[in-house]
Amino acid sequence: MLAFALRRIGTALLVLVAVSVLVFAGCEELPGDVAEVSLGNFASPDNVRALRAEFGLDRPAPLRYADWLVGMVKGDFGRSITTRTPVAKLLRERAANTGILALATTVIAVPVAIGLGLLMALGSGGALDRIGSVTVLALSTTPEFLIGSVAVLFLAVKLRWLPAIAYIGAEAHFGAMVRALALPVATLAIVVSAQLARMTRAIIGNLLGRAFIEMAELKGVGRWRVVGVHALINAIGPLANVVALNMAYLVSGVVVVETIFAYPGLARLMVDAVQARDLPVVQACAMIFCAAYVVLILLADLLALLFDPRARPTRTATA
Amino acid sequence: MSTFPPILRRRAFNAGLMGSAAVLAGAGVARAAPTRGGAIRLGMASQSTNDTFDSARYLYGNDYVRGTSTYSYLTRLDEKGEVQPEVAESFEPNKDATSWTFKLRRGITFHDGATLSTDDVIFSILRHQDPKTASSAKQLVANIKGVKADGPDRITVELNAPDVDFAVLIGIFQFALVKNGTTDFSKPIGTGAFTVKEFTPGVRTMGVRNPNFWKEGRPYIDSYEMFTILDASARANALLSGDADLITELRGASIEEVAKSATAQPFVTPAARYTAMQAAVDRAPSDNKEIMYGLSYLIDRKRLLDTVYRGYGAIANDFPIKSDSPYFDGALPQPSLDHDKAKYHIGKSGLGNSRLELTVSDAAIFSVEMGQLMQREASRIGLNIDLKREPNDAYWNVVAGKRPFFATNFHPRPTYNMLLNLAFKSNAVWNFSHYNNSDLDGLIDKARATLDVGQRKEIYGQIEKTIAGAGMIVLPCFMSYVDGVSNKVKGLTPVPVGNLGGFNFTDRIWLES
Repeated sequence: MLAFALRRIGTALLVLVAVSVLVFAGCEELPGDVAEVSLGNFASPDNVRALRAEFGLDRPAPLRYADWLVGMVKGDFGRSITTRTPVAKLLRERAANTGILALATTVIAVPVAIGLGLLMALGSGGALDRIGSVTVLALSTTPEFLIGSVAVLFLAVKLRWLPAIAYIGAEAHFGAMVRALALPVATLAIVVSAQLARMTRAIIGNLLGRAFIEMAELKGVGRWRVVGVHALINAIGPLANVVALNMAYLVSGVVVVETIFAYPGLARLMVDAVQARDLPVVQACAMIFCAAYVVLILLADLLALLFDPRARPTRTATA
Repeated sequence: MSTFPPILRRRAFNAGLMGSAAVLAGAGVARAAPTRGGAIRLGMASQSTNDTFDSARYLYGNDYVRGTSTYSYLTRLDEKGEVQPEVAESFEPNKDATSWTFKLRRGITFHDGATLSTDDVIFSILRHQDPKTASSAKQLVANIKGVKADGPDRITVELNAPDVDFAVLIGIFQFALVKNGTTDFSKPIGTGAFTVKEFTPGVRTMGVRNPNFWKEGRPYIDSYEMFTILDASARANALLSGDADLITELRGASIEEVAKSATAQPFVTPAARYTAMQAAVDRAPSDNKEIMYGLSYLIDRKRLLDTVYRGYGAIANDFPIKSDSPYFDGALPQPSLDHDKAKYHIGKSGLGNSRLELTVSDAAIFSVEMGQLMQREASRIGLNIDLKREPNDAYWNVVAGKRPFFATNFHPRPTYNMLLNLAFKSNAVWNFSHYNNSDLDGLIDKARATLDVGQRKEIYGQIEKTIAGAGMIVLPCFMSYVDGVSNKVKGLTPVPVGNLGGFNFTDRIWLES
């Protein structure tokens, strides 16, 4: 177990280093000169030269890469080229916003989705399963912007129950924050839980056909207990992976939701930074996103290992 | 303004008459006396982590609003596009406009209590000439020979070449009055209507009322908070749901949506903003004038205006001066959709069966739609146009001016001469066509130096003829600015240089109580 965990952590670190090379190389390849784009059309050649020197952009790429990597390991993401402030300062508020959005969505979506998936698996083939499956399939294929826009149209513009944008003002108190976040969280929770519920149903349904379940049923274990204990504990591994992927997506890929609700999160920051060629910010965002994937999947794997009955030879698989 | 049904209003602006806009707006102002208090929320269309308080680096509307709210300026533009006194109580040129004297208002204080001095004003102008400053006004200050104080409340600016519009130039957003020697703008100190309470680049700006503002009784509102809503329908939704009081850039169906609502109205500013197709005239095949002559007859200008611009704009004549300007020369024939004429010119160009590549992008607003209209008409005369759509990202640095035929987009400047200087003079930074004509350069300079209005009009007539005949630009229509304003916001009037009163409004609007 420990050896496995250490090996996985080692691999994860290697993946992050490999990703850092790709991110750096990708930024190098962006069209347009960094200094020119970030200074605008009016910069004189002197200005451009000064900026390049100030940020060390005139040095060879491998050197800059090494500096960047060492800085990052020490927790220093460098300075933003356009605002001249530390990248960490720019990231702070955005990262907090993204974290709040991802956490609130996960806390709501995961229990709902797993509960729904279990119910559908239990009543497999019944009316609940069929209605549930169709609804969930429809919702999981509906694009977020459609769900978000319809929700805004009715709940914000027509009924005026909730704000149309998730902009959290300078002096917002807790109540205002909850109201502002309600629509984006609901939109994301619908999409994410629809997908999760489908996966849960599929995974549990799959397990229910297995010999050990049949064995338990033959022993006379009740249907609820079979699904809720015997099947669920075996489903935790695959489910943890699905949840991890969804959480990582919530951290990095919700640029559409951030845009329609004007929510200042990390994904939007990265898009803006790419347009302004603010490479330290782009690189920091890219690394955070990759790290989110790597860490979450690592956690999911470890969790799967913990709950895998076969990985625990000390305990016999009896019920 | 809000009492006119949308159709009527649109027709009034369609006529492209600045006068009608000013009259409508004027009626709105006269209705009620301003009241004090309240906070406004501004939803802006553009977003950038480039947000700054350093006026030398201003490039976007968000910066301009921040500038006019926090700093003061020597002059400003009014609804007719004419220059009005601000910190400069009065100003006058010498007899050949090579020297301008500004008399400063006394007793203006900075947010930290210091009194605004002539040194501060001189620094605020000359810092744009400093090679260490990457100023977006660098080209505009090239004509300044020197600035000197003339007693405690008077400065004189000496120019290299005469400039009849210098009082307008000195009032643009970049010339914010800052304290002598300022280099760090992270904690901005101005003499403007608001002090900065919070500033997070790319996220929000919040300003609160400066009680010592030099305009008696103003500003009327207690605070403003500005943030970005990038998505056009999200912006309209925020206005309709009351989450924003003013928003910039309503688009498409959202305009009608807002016009129908009981809580907000579109706010239209007729202006000389344009999207055009340009040719890079320093290379083949785009150095062939006949191709652009032909393309000029392949765009249905009326249709572009009615369907794409939704009627908010005016038809143009392939040069950047709008028909309501005193400098507009009506003598040039107005091109319209004409397959025969197009066929004649394309035939003459010797293009034959070659395909024509036209580069468009969302970076130049509505250029994709414009390209599609041209493509369709071209196919009717057997000309194949390949529309190449490029991403907005770095469009102005790596695409515009680097392909044979491409779209560009320009916002109006306070004077036409300024735009001509930036975009049509040989070697100007935004001369994407690389058009090189010393005669045109001479005319642009001469227009700026000529005090006699009649003579100046004549020169602009020649400029227009030169540009329209150069085969470098097809400029079909001007686009008005259409913003959205809540019905409870009063006192906003259109200024024809930009969104929301030319980005200069926070010290004159009030909220209906």
